[in-house]
Amino acid sequence: MSHLFDHHGAPGKGYSQPAPVLPATEISVPSSLVRKQAARWPRISEPEMVRHYTWLSKRNFGIDTGFYPLGSCTMKHNPRINEVIAQLPGIADIHPHQPEHHLQGLLSIYHEMQHMLEVCAGMDQVTLQPVAGAQGEFTAVRCIQEYFRLRGEDQRTKVIVPDSAHGTNPASAAMCGFEIVEIPSRTDGRIDLDALRAVADETTAVMMITNPNTLGLFEADILEASAIVHDVGGQMYYDGANFNAILGITSPGLMGFDAVHFNLHKTFSQPHGGGGPGSGPIGVKAHLADFLPGPIVKKRPIMGDEAKHAIEDMWFGWYEPVHSIGKVQQWHGNAGAVIRCWAYYRRYGNGLKTMSEHAVLNANYLRHALHREAEKAGVSDMIVDGAETDVAKHEFTISLGPAKESHGISAMDIAKGLLDMGYMAPTVYFPLVVPECMMIEPTETESKETLDTFAEDFAKVLQVDAETLHAAPITTPVRRVDEVYAARNLCLRHPYDED
Amino acid sequence: MVDQLPNLGREAEMLATMGMSSMEDLFSDIPEEVRMRGTLPLPDAQSEEEIIADARRLLGSNVALGERVSFLGAGLYRNYVPASVFQLITRGEFLTSYTPYQPEVSQGMLQAMWEFQTLISELVGLPIANLSLYDGSTAAAEAITCSVRVHGRKATQKNTVYVSELTPPDRMSVMQNYCQGAEIKIKMLRHNPDGTLNLSSAKEAAGSCGVYVEQPNPIGVLDGGLPLLKEIIGEHTALIVGVQPISLGIVEAPGNYGADIVVGEGQPLGSPITGGGPIYGIFACSKPYLRLMPGRIVGRSIDVDGKEAYCLTLSTREQHIRRHRATSNICTNETLIALMGAMHMALLGPEGLHDLAVRNMAACTLGKQKLAAIHGVSLPHQSSHHFQEFVIELPGQASDCLAYLDSVGIVGGFDLARWYANRPNWLLVSFTDQSRANEIELLAAHIEAWAASQGVSA
Repeated sequence: MSHLFDHHGAPGKGYSQPAPVLPATEISVPSSLVRKQAARWPRISEPEMVRHYTWLSKRNFGIDTGFYPLGSCTMKHNPRINEVIAQLPGIADIHPHQPEHHLQGLLSIYHEMQHMLEVCAGMDQVTLQPVAGAQGEFTAVRCIQEYFRLRGEDQRTKVIVPDSAHGTNPASAAMCGFEIVEIPSRTDGRIDLDALRAVADETTAVMMITNPNTLGLFEADILEASAIVHDVGGQMYYDGANFNAILGITSPGLMGFDAVHFNLHKTFSQPHGGGGPGSGPIGVKAHLADFLPGPIVKKRPIMGDEAKHAIEDMWFGWYEPVHSIGKVQQWHGNAGAVIRCWAYYRRYGNGLKTMSEHAVLNANYLRHALHREAEKAGVSDMIVDGAETDVAKHEFTISLGPAKESHGISAMDIAKGLLDMGYMAPTVYFPLVVPECMMIEPTETESKETLDTFAEDFAKVLQVDAETLHAAPITTPVRRVDEVYAARNLCLRHPYDED
Repeated sequence: MVDQLPNLGREAEMLATMGMSSMEDLFSDIPEEVRMRGTLPLPDAQSEEEIIADARRLLGSNVALGERVSFLGAGLYRNYVPASVFQLITRGEFLTSYTPYQPEVSQGMLQAMWEFQTLISELVGLPIANLSLYDGSTAAAEAITCSVRVHGRKATQKNTVYVSELTPPDRMSVMQNYCQGAEIKIKMLRHNPDGTLNLSSAKEAAGSCGVYVEQPNPIGVLDGGLPLLKEIIGEHTALIVGVQPISLGIVEAPGNYGADIVVGEGQPLGSPITGGGPIYGIFACSKPYLRLMPGRIVGRSIDVDGKEAYCLTLSTREQHIRRHRATSNICTNETLIALMGAMHMALLGPEGLHDLAVRNMAACTLGKQKLAAIHGVSLPHQSSHHFQEFVIELPGQASDCLAYLDSVGIVGGFDLARWYANRPNWLLVSFTDQSRANEIELLAAHIEAWAASQGVSA
C-alpha cells in the first residue's frame, strides 16, 4: 500500500517556489484571522508523489485498460488529440470575463457546437451552459417552468417520468419544485400509453423520457406519447443520455420533443475522469429559446474596429436570452469539455450517423453473441432478455433472474466474475424494472474480436459454480468490498494519530 | 472517423451472423415518420492533423492571459500548477474511468478521492468533505439548500437564508435557481463602507436557516469580523463561508471560527482557469449536515479478507437511490479536476501552501502600495486587509480604463459595473503568485497615464 499521509518529509519540498515580491514581513492578516494551526497535509517530494499517484492509477480500471460495457454511460474511446487541444493556452489560459474580442476563437467553436447540436437534435436553439447531464435536465425543466409562469399556467405542478427513468430525472424536476408522477412501464419495457393518458391533465408541466429508453429499446409510440402530453398543454423533455444511438437516424425534434439535454461526455467523448467533468448542453424549440441561460453565441455583422480582431467575416458575440432563467453555474459552461467534444465532432462531421450505426451494430452483435455463446456452453437457460425485442439500440439488458432462481447466482455475482476476467462489469440492477438486471453498452469503438471474446468469457462465467462466484473477484487489487461496513463505521478522512 | 471505428468494412459479416443484410435492419423498429433521411447538413469529417491545425488557428486567435500582463481575477485565478499534475492526470486509468461503482477495480480513484476529502477537511477545518461539486457557485447554492433541510424545522425564520449583498450577480443567480424550487427566501446582509460585513445587520439573520458570506469577500477584503458571526446568528443557523482555498495558507480555517459549511472555487488549487470550466467546487461540512449534504463521498472500509479498501458510501442520499427525494440531482461531478487539486495540495504541503498564500498576498500588497500612490485614483476599502484583490476607484469609467489598458497589452482587471450598477468607476484588480513586480509597476504607470488623460493633473 502507498498512503499519502505516511509522507512526513522536509517542509515544502514538493515543488520549489520563487520568493514573494515583498518580504513576508510586509503583509498582514487581521489578528483575528491568523491561521493558528497549519493543515496537516503530507510533506512529499515530487518523485514520491509521482510514484504514489502512478501506483494508485494502476489500481484503477479505465477504457484504456479494457472493455468497459457499462450500460447508460457510453464508455467509448477518448482520442488523445482532444487532450492535447484542451491544454493549448488558447483554452487553458483564458478567463470567461475577458472581452469578446479576446475570445473570438472560443466563441466560434461555441457557435459551431451549438449549430451542430441543433442540427442533430432537431432543436432551434442550444445553450452550452450546463456542465453535466443532470444539470441540463434541471436547466431545461426550469426553462419550461418559467415559460408556463409567463403564460400564467401556474397550475402545471407535475412532472411525469416513467419508472425506468434515470434517477436524475425525478431528482432534477423535484429540485425545480415539481411534484413527480411516476408511471409504470409495460411488461415489455416500453411506455404504457394508457398509464400516460390516465395521469396527463392540465396540471402536467413536463414529461421526461429517454428514447431509446433505459432498456435500450426504441419507443415506437413516441409520437403518440408526445401528442398525449401536448394535447393537455404539457411539454416533452428528451433525456439525451442515450443520444449515441440516434445521430443522423432520428432526432428528438422529429419525435415531438420541446427540449433536450446532451451528455457531451457520453456522445462526444469528453473523458469521464472517474466521475467527471462532463458537459450537459440543452437544446429547445423556438418557443422556449427566450428562457435559456446565457451567454449563448450569436453571429452578427462586424461593427467598427472589431474588424482587426475578427477571425471571419462575421462577429461572434455573447447574447443573453430576454427571459433567461439566469445562471446554473457561474461561468460559461465547461468550455474545456466543449473544446474536446468539438474536436471529437470534427472527426466525424456529417458522418456522425455512421458512429451511431456502429454503436447499434455492436450492441446487437454482442447481444446475439452472448446468447450464441451461452447456448454453445449449455447455459442459455440462465439468462433471458430484459425485454422482448427484435433489435436493440445502442445498449441492451439481460436478466440473471433465471440464474438467481436455479443456481443462486445474482447479477452482482456475474459482475464480480467478469472483473476477474479482466473486464469492467456492465451496469447492474438498473433499470429497476428488470429483475437481476445487467445493462450492456459496448459502444462503437470496440472491435468484433473484443465482442466475441467478451461473449465467450461471459459464457464461461455463467458456468462457474455459485460458491466460487460468491467469492469473486479474486484477481483484483482488493476483493469484494464491504459497503455495509463502510456505512456503519464511517471513516471519511485520514485518522490522524493525535486525534 | 476511420480511425475510431474498428468494425468499419465488417458490417456485412457482423449483420449476417444476426440474420440481417443491411444496417437499415438495425433500425426497423423506428417508425418512418420520425426517421431522418439524407446526410446530416454538416461539414465533412476531418483527419487528426486537420483538426489540430484548426484548433491551433481558432484557439490561437484567443488572447491567452499568459501572452499579456493580466490582473483579471474576480473568482478565477491564474495560479501556477506544477507540471507533474498535468502529466499524471493523463494516465488513462484515471482519465478514462467512470464513477467507481465497482470498487474492486476502482481503488485508485477511490483512495485518491478519500485523500482529497482529507486534504480539504484539513484545509478548511471541518471533518467532512465530498469529492467535488461543479463550481464554487453551485457549491454555495447547494450549501444553502442543505442548510434549509437541516434547520428548516427549528428555524424561526422559516425557509429563509441571508446572503452577503456583495455576492456577484451570476453567483446569486445560481443560488436563486437552486432555491426557488424549495421556496427559499434569500435576504441580504449589508456591508460597512470599509467593505467588511455589518455585524449589527447580521443580527437580523438569527433564527434563519443559514448565512452565506465569503472570506476573502468578492471585493477582496479579509474580514476580521467574521469570527464573531457564528455567535451572532446562533447555533441553529448554519454559517456558510465561501473561501479562496489558497488564502487558507495564512488565513484561519473557517471551521475554526464557527463555520458549519465551507464552500469555494477549488480552481486555484490544481486547475488552469480553462475559460471557466471544468473547474471544481469545494464542499465541506460538520457532522450535523452529513446525511443531508449533496454529492459523492468515499469511505474507508475493508474487503472480505479484512484488507483496507475504499468505496462510495452514504449513497442513500443520492439520486440513483433516492430519486426525487435525493439531497441533490448531482451525478457527474468534477472528480478528475479534484484529483488535480489533490496532487497540487500534496506537492505543496503545509509550508508550501503558506508560502503560496504569502506570494499571492505580497503581490496584492505591492499592488496596493503602487496603485494607492496614483493621483486621482483612490482605494475605497484602503483601511481593510486584502488577500489578493482590491477595488480602485478611477477618475472615469472602469470600462474606458480597461479599453486603454487592453490597447497597451494589459488585461487590467474586472469592471465592477458588471456586478454593481452604481459603481461605474470601480475596477477590481487581482494579483496571484504569477504577478511580477515589474508587471505591477507597469500597471501602475499605465493607470497613472490614463488617469492623467481623464483631466486629473499629475
